[in-house]
Amino acid sequence: MNLGIRPLLRALQRNPVGEVLIGMQIAITLAVLVNVTGIVTRRVRRIERPAGIDTRDTFAIVVSSLSKSFNFDAAESTDLAYLRGLPGVAAATVTTGEPLTHDGSYAQFSSQPHRRGNTVTVSVLPTDDQGLKTLDVPLIAGRNFRATEVTSYSPRDPSPPLTSIILTERAARTLFAHGSAVGKTIYGYGSMPVTVIGVTHNFIGPLLGDSPYDTALIPQMSGEFGQYELLVRTRPRQLFAVMRTAKRHIGMAHPDAVVLYTTTLSADLHRMHANDRNVALFLLAVTAMMLAICCFGVFALAAFNVRRRTKEIGVRRAVGARKRDIVVQFMTESAFVLSGGLALGSVLALAIGQWLTDHDGVSHLDPWYLLVGFAVLALTSQLAAWQPARWAATIPPSVATRTV
Amino acid sequence: MLGYHLRMALKSLRRTPGLTLLMTAAIGLGVSACIVTLTEYHAMSSNPIWWKNSVLYAVTLDIAATNQPNNPRHPGLPPAQLTYPDATYLARSSIPQRTAIMAVAQGALDGAPDQSVAVPVETRVTTAGFFHMFDVPFKYGGPWNATADRGPQPVIVLSRRENDRLFGGADSVGRTLLWNNHRFRIVGVLDHWDPRPRFYDMTVGNFVRPEAAFIPLKWITALHMWPSGQMQCWGKGAITYSSLRGPGCIWLEMWAELPTAASRARFLALMNAYATEQRKSGRFNYPLNARLWNVGQWLRLNDAVTHDSRLLLRLAFTFLAVCLINTVAVLLAKFMGAAPLAGIRRALGASRREIIAQHLIEASLVSLAGSCLALVLTVGELQGIRALYRHTHDVYGKLAHFDPLSLLWALALTVLSTLVAGLYPAWRAGQVAPAAYLRTQ
Repeated sequence: MNLGIRPLLRALQRNPVGEVLIGMQIAITLAVLVNVTGIVTRRVRRIERPAGIDTRDTFAIVVSSLSKSFNFDAAESTDLAYLRGLPGVAAATVTTGEPLTHDGSYAQFSSQPHRRGNTVTVSVLPTDDQGLKTLDVPLIAGRNFRATEVTSYSPRDPSPPLTSIILTERAARTLFAHGSAVGKTIYGYGSMPVTVIGVTHNFIGPLLGDSPYDTALIPQMSGEFGQYELLVRTRPRQLFAVMRTAKRHIGMAHPDAVVLYTTTLSADLHRMHANDRNVALFLLAVTAMMLAICCFGVFALAAFNVRRRTKEIGVRRAVGARKRDIVVQFMTESAFVLSGGLALGSVLALAIGQWLTDHDGVSHLDPWYLLVGFAVLALTSQLAAWQPARWAATIPPSVATRTV
Repeated sequence: MLGYHLRMALKSLRRTPGLTLLMTAAIGLGVSACIVTLTEYHAMSSNPIWWKNSVLYAVTLDIAATNQPNNPRHPGLPPAQLTYPDATYLARSSIPQRTAIMAVAQGALDGAPDQSVAVPVETRVTTAGFFHMFDVPFKYGGPWNATADRGPQPVIVLSRRENDRLFGGADSVGRTLLWNNHRFRIVGVLDHWDPRPRFYDMTVGNFVRPEAAFIPLKWITALHMWPSGQMQCWGKGAITYSSLRGPGCIWLEMWAELPTAASRARFLALMNAYATEQRKSGRFNYPLNARLWNVGQWLRLNDAVTHDSRLLLRLAFTFLAVCLINTVAVLLAKFMGAAPLAGIRRALGASRREIIAQHLIEASLVSLAGSCLALVLTVGELQGIRALYRHTHDVYGKLAHFDPLSLLWALALTVLSTLVAGLYPAWRAGQVAPAAYLRTQ
């Protein structure tokens, strides 16, 4: 079967501007589609990253002291005793810095003294023996803190040196690539030795750039920065009732402290992902519109060509071309423009991908995205050309004999 | 003539309502995507104190004692903050016209009339220079003086919002309030002041409102308060009050007003001399790296414009480009389809210029309608963005407000799209040879 490439090329030579424009449109759309797919995939992966802690039934109350004589240990113990006595509370602990927010402290540890060996920066949650239970994080190896290990906090006196620490699996693996970290000694600032007593499943602590699972628990009461955060895990479906009661009580409990705010961890999680989600949404929406407009362009051009070449089609029909041949001819023409666009688009997509990698640190393109982009564009734009091609096929041979 | 062209254009547009609608929609969507992202970008990239851009300088020293990079985002650069001893030493210099050192602290205000519970307020602890340097407007009273800094005297300045909340907007100067259970006298109330980005302290978010209250810096140590903003310490164990005043914690931002190049050079020399001296006593392990940043440099250094904002802006303009290419292709097809008409008009005596003008007007009508649609869409989209970012700390929601400049952008984009989309097809329509069409008739 003659696909009519040569007449087609000649037609293109006569008035190529429309075809070139549509080809360009396809190229840009492909380049954007491919890169947006890459960016959105990264965002979605970040959103889908498990928090590793119970976010459904946990809330936080943040308390700030108002006076320099405020006794943190006493206030925290009173609050914890009250919270643990409340019906509906599964576990409660006190910490500084809230998981899933940017609020927290960070520290650096290395596997050998004087910052030698492997080094990891972790977000640090000071907590008591109820910390793991409240966060609902299971231990993989080693043990939890004992109540007697938890050191008190005073803003006036240097606290007793840190001796034990619990790390997430990720942080432990960074420090000790092989074998269990439990029982090993790691070194903090000034080569202060600390023993790893336990390793937990990965969970997200206070946010730490691109490695949110690098988290550590230390056995210490809170009060650094003049604040402490009560973390409370409730029994299922009792979160809001318990939160209201607790907030009211603790707001009145200390004359020289204020409750700064209360929040649920699910709200924190939602906030943590808000930007990624919204940017992904915007990118997808714009790309979808671009794709739609691109298809519309293909459709409009094809329809225009059909109308312009009515007579030519009539002649072809009159000299024996079947309806199918006409459809094939127009689909081939549009496939020709499409393939030009896709070829240019691949180059453009790779160039943009490289540029993004250089400038914004977004990772390299996956060749799969290019294939998916090809498939999507080929399918949609050929679909857009389908209807005009069918119109062309309905043109009767008798048109050839008319003068206009 | 214009009226005739308009009538012809409208008639032609009405002949193909589907195409007209789709072209309008494409331009509307493209332009509105651009306006929305430009609005955000413009808000992020503005310099809120441009008139003092080369007068105000952020002061940074490479201080940290560890061999870790000080500034994780820019490893070669000093951290954004200073220690208490370094900042207070540099602030004593007489080279700058003024200096301000500052931090943010969590406070609670109580004791206003009819107040039942203490309300938490973010408080900027700073020195008197802050108000003068940054041209902070006052509604009542004024800043405290240098004596109050030295005392420190119990003086407080409230933001306009806070004064509205506590005193119903009345002149509260001279009245007293409890700030963290200590009695402070109100000396000033600010007028509306919301520099965006909040250039003077970008460690706790670039687009947060200025604090609700301001008190002299020394109160933070006198009352054993903690800074509630960013703080970096190096030392064993937990941080205590005394480590805050020592050389092991950076938590203060510092600005200096250095109007001349000579004063800048002298101040930088002083900073380097100080660093050299400190190296002798075992601090400052780094090579000399004292730096002054003007406001514009400071905003760039602190990524006032986010990566996402740049990405979305680029995408929006690419989208507009596709929309315009599409419009060109469609208009071209349409004008060529109507070429016999143009041929006849040419044969009847219309000049080439008139044919071009008539087709340009048709293109302008499409992009004008598209831009009107874009404005409506923009208002809706900005509202949508605010809704998506409600209850979050991200900046995009806060910046999504219709900007009078956006109207200007819309106008500019309309003109641009008319020219881009209309010129070539109209020119092509003008090239139609009259004879060719007369023959087939």
